Amino acid sequence: MPVYVDVSRCIGCRSCEVACKRVHSGRSYMEVKVIDSKASVPVTCHHCEEATCTMACFSQALSKDGERTAFDIHKCTGCSLCALACPFGVVWTDKWAHKCDLCKGLESPMCVVTCPAQALSLDPDAASKRARTRAAAAVALAQGVKR
Amino acid sequence: MISLDTTKCIGCCSCSNVCPSKNITREDLGDKRTIHYKKCSEFCDICVESCPSKALSLAAQGEDVEIAFDLVKCTVCGEPFATEKMLDRIRSSVPQNLRVDSAGQSWVEICPMCRRDLERERAARPVIKKRA
Repeated sequence: MPVYVDVSRCIGCRSCEVACKRVHSGRSYMEVKVIDSKASVPVTCHHCEEATCTMACFSQALSKDGERTAFDIHKCTGCSLCALACPFGVVWTDKWAHKCDLCKGLESPMCVVTCPAQALSLDPDAASKRARTRAAAAVALAQGVKR
Repeated sequence: MISLDTTKCIGCCSCSNVCPSKNITREDLGDKRTIHYKKCSEFCDICVESCPSKALSLAAQGEDVEIAFDLVKCTVCGEPFATEKMLDRIRSSVPQNLRVDSAGQSWVEICPMCRRDLERERAARPVIKKRA
């Protein structure tokens, strides 16, 4: 259950970063950057099925908890092996590791709730569902069907 | 007191992070990492417990020890980011098929910052193409 990103909808406002900071004591586990002034992309933990960070973690601070890649700060020594084992570079370390926890305890991750452009979703099909809805609306309009 | 097995140490950040008495210090200067172990007389074994490579042990005698590592440079940006032994550790704990990204590129030798940039670049490319 990672956070799915529809890059075509992201407006690069960084609301997700701010929302993440609000939940995680001033630290964001999401990073947005604008590419060539044409597109912006937020990157965050993918909660990989075969999570390489959990394979590198020697103290079991990182583990799979269902679809979530969970992190137990009490077991972490800050060795930084997880940061080096993440293919996407989305585990940060200083005294301990920092990574997305999908806002454990909240109903939905705060970045998803906050995104004003609906670029973030927990539904992998969100982008294609919206496209189908738009296509259906276009057909309905062409046939003169009132909504 | 602690003793260090220099053949086992991988130069990670564990012991220097967890030492409550600041007797273990780590310094990254350019492409060199130095870890300094001050002679320690605390009754504590947190660093021993926290070592991923079991390089530390409790000992009756102790002395000042220093160990230095060359930091490996990122193949993309050229910035030094990790010791070769840490990367070897990743290579041994992550299976070969997971050490390449969707483009077939090996990511272990790339620094985390550049990995994020590459990931973003890949995700943005189809959208940029449409907007060009």
